[in-house]
Amino acid sequence: MSLPTPDSAAPAAPLATAAAALLPASHRHWLLWLVAAQVLFVLGVAVAGYATAALGRTVTLQTEPVDPRDLLYGDYLRLRYQISELPGSLWRGTEVPRRRQAAYVLLEPRPSGDFEATGIYPEAPATSGQQAVLRGSVQDVWRRGLRLRYGLERYYVPETMTRRMRQRRRLRVTISIAPWGQARITQVDTVRQ
Amino acid sequence: MSRKLLETDGPDWVQQGVITEAQRAQLLALYPIDAAAIGLLPLLGSLLVGLSALSVVAANWQGLPELVRLGLLLGSLVAAYAGGEYFRRRGNGSLGMGLIALGLILFGASIVLTSQLYQLIGYDLTGLLAWAVAGMGLTWLYRSSLLFLLTAVISGIVQGYNTGQLGAFSYLTAIGTAIGLGYYWWRRPDALLGGVLAGGLLWQAGLLINHLHVKITWFFIPAMLVYALGDWQDDRPAGRALQGPPLAAAFLFTLGLALFGESDFYANQLRAPLVPYLVALAAVLAASLVGKQRRGRLGSATDWLLLLPGFYFTGGLPLAIATLVVLYAYSGSVLVRAHQEQNPDRVTLGTVLFVLTTAVAYFKLTWGFLDKSLFFLLGGLLLLGLSWWLRRRAAHTLAAAASSAPQP
Repeated sequence: MSLPTPDSAAPAAPLATAAAALLPASHRHWLLWLVAAQVLFVLGVAVAGYATAALGRTVTLQTEPVDPRDLLYGDYLRLRYQISELPGSLWRGTEVPRRRQAAYVLLEPRPSGDFEATGIYPEAPATSGQQAVLRGSVQDVWRRGLRLRYGLERYYVPETMTRRMRQRRRLRVTISIAPWGQARITQVDTVRQ
Repeated sequence: MSRKLLETDGPDWVQQGVITEAQRAQLLALYPIDAAAIGLLPLLGSLLVGLSALSVVAANWQGLPELVRLGLLLGSLVAAYAGGEYFRRRGNGSLGMGLIALGLILFGASIVLTSQLYQLIGYDLTGLLAWAVAGMGLTWLYRSSLLFLLTAVISGIVQGYNTGQLGAFSYLTAIGTAIGLGYYWWRRPDALLGGVLAGGLLWQAGLLINHLHVKITWFFIPAMLVYALGDWQDDRPAGRALQGPPLAAAFLFTLGLALFGESDFYANQLRAPLVPYLVALAAVLAASLVGKQRRGRLGSATDWLLLLPGFYFTGGLPLAIATLVVLYAYSGSVLVRAHQEQNPDRVTLGTVLFVLTTAVAYFKLTWGFLDKSLFFLLGGLLLLGLSWWLRRRAAHTLAAAASSAPQP
């Protein structure tokens, strides 16, 4: 903080006039890099989306009933999964869970085809066969259970879906979990009741 | 001075013999016409065309194939930057900077919309952090106040989104803002940017305190760090502007303490763990005092009166009264310094603070005992009298300043 600033006053005037006219050549290079980095970043987000769907494990989850009126408030549905609230007996850590802690939920398929949680771990557990692991974070802890958040709680709805949703109903959500842990929703269907 | 003033008033100056015609021409040459200024009609026309394109895209956004959406986003991003560079090169600086700022905004929009396109939300803090980093890079590249302002706002939005939606505080964003923009301001001190920077940093500090669920008094540690940075700044007006927001926060806080500090329940909400808080505050105080001493401004150390941690005393009414005394001491010291410096703006500020303190003191000390109409009558008279006296004093100072100014 005690940096002397001898050059702050003297070159300021020529810089101001130079900046008004043209950037020096080296700066134009930097600008090109900066814009290219921005384009690459956006492309990177897109590629991560594609890759997660293409390379990931597919898992289906059931939600609690979703209120179609949600769609009046915006262009996304708020999803609450059956695995969003889990009993504390599934916790496999040695210490009690804390809020904002990372949690890895081990999922196993049921005969219906939907996956259910069989354990919650503070570190990523080893999987075998049909099992899959979904990463989340602990939002709330109470005496008998945990509330978890997976970052999959919003679904940006295509317009075709708006017309199909007339009343509260459960949804079946298809999720892709990439080998590097990222997960995204690939499909949402209403469950026949 | 602007070219317009020279053009309108210049001939008069020549007539009155202030300058010669040749000097007027020389002065005019110093302020060239903004080259190729764009006419209003073409600008409005292209704005309308742009809006219609935007509404067509927005209405059909959901129906467009993914790749087209991505292409549209990236295309408009690149076009905004390229257009900005083009207009800057043609000498149309403000339009060019406007387009580059638009490019920065489009970058943020592209991140958000692409994430939505692929249903990627997650607890990923890096996506929006990249937006703030791009803003900082552009600010440094163009040395532009507009981009500085925009970046301060973007960092605030990113942090607000992190704490509000994702339930996490991004220390990287906060430190990045403090260093990236803070160092820029340090090298190119400016009053407006100082105020904006301090405001942005205090907003993030407030979010952090709220996120950590700690006593709100901790807020003043980062806030006063910002203040101390202002003490080290060589450029006095810029330093003062940076110190404005922290001081305003401290003053409002002390005002609140005077009003509600009587209730021990309220004071208890403020009591951070005694030793860590006082040690941290003392460290910041030391940094600030050394800075003041180096720059020869020890007189402004009275600002720290507002940080006296009176809320640790379980005083009840005496605590409220002691706080009022502190407020009077502070606003009095602002007035005294303003009169010494013969600075009319500071005199006005000191007067406002003094009147505000008096209003609170009067409200606090007499509300319970006086009949309501008498309360308002006496209060009104007190404030009128006070403002009359302070204004007389200010006029006196300014007259003295005016008479002493031409002598040297």
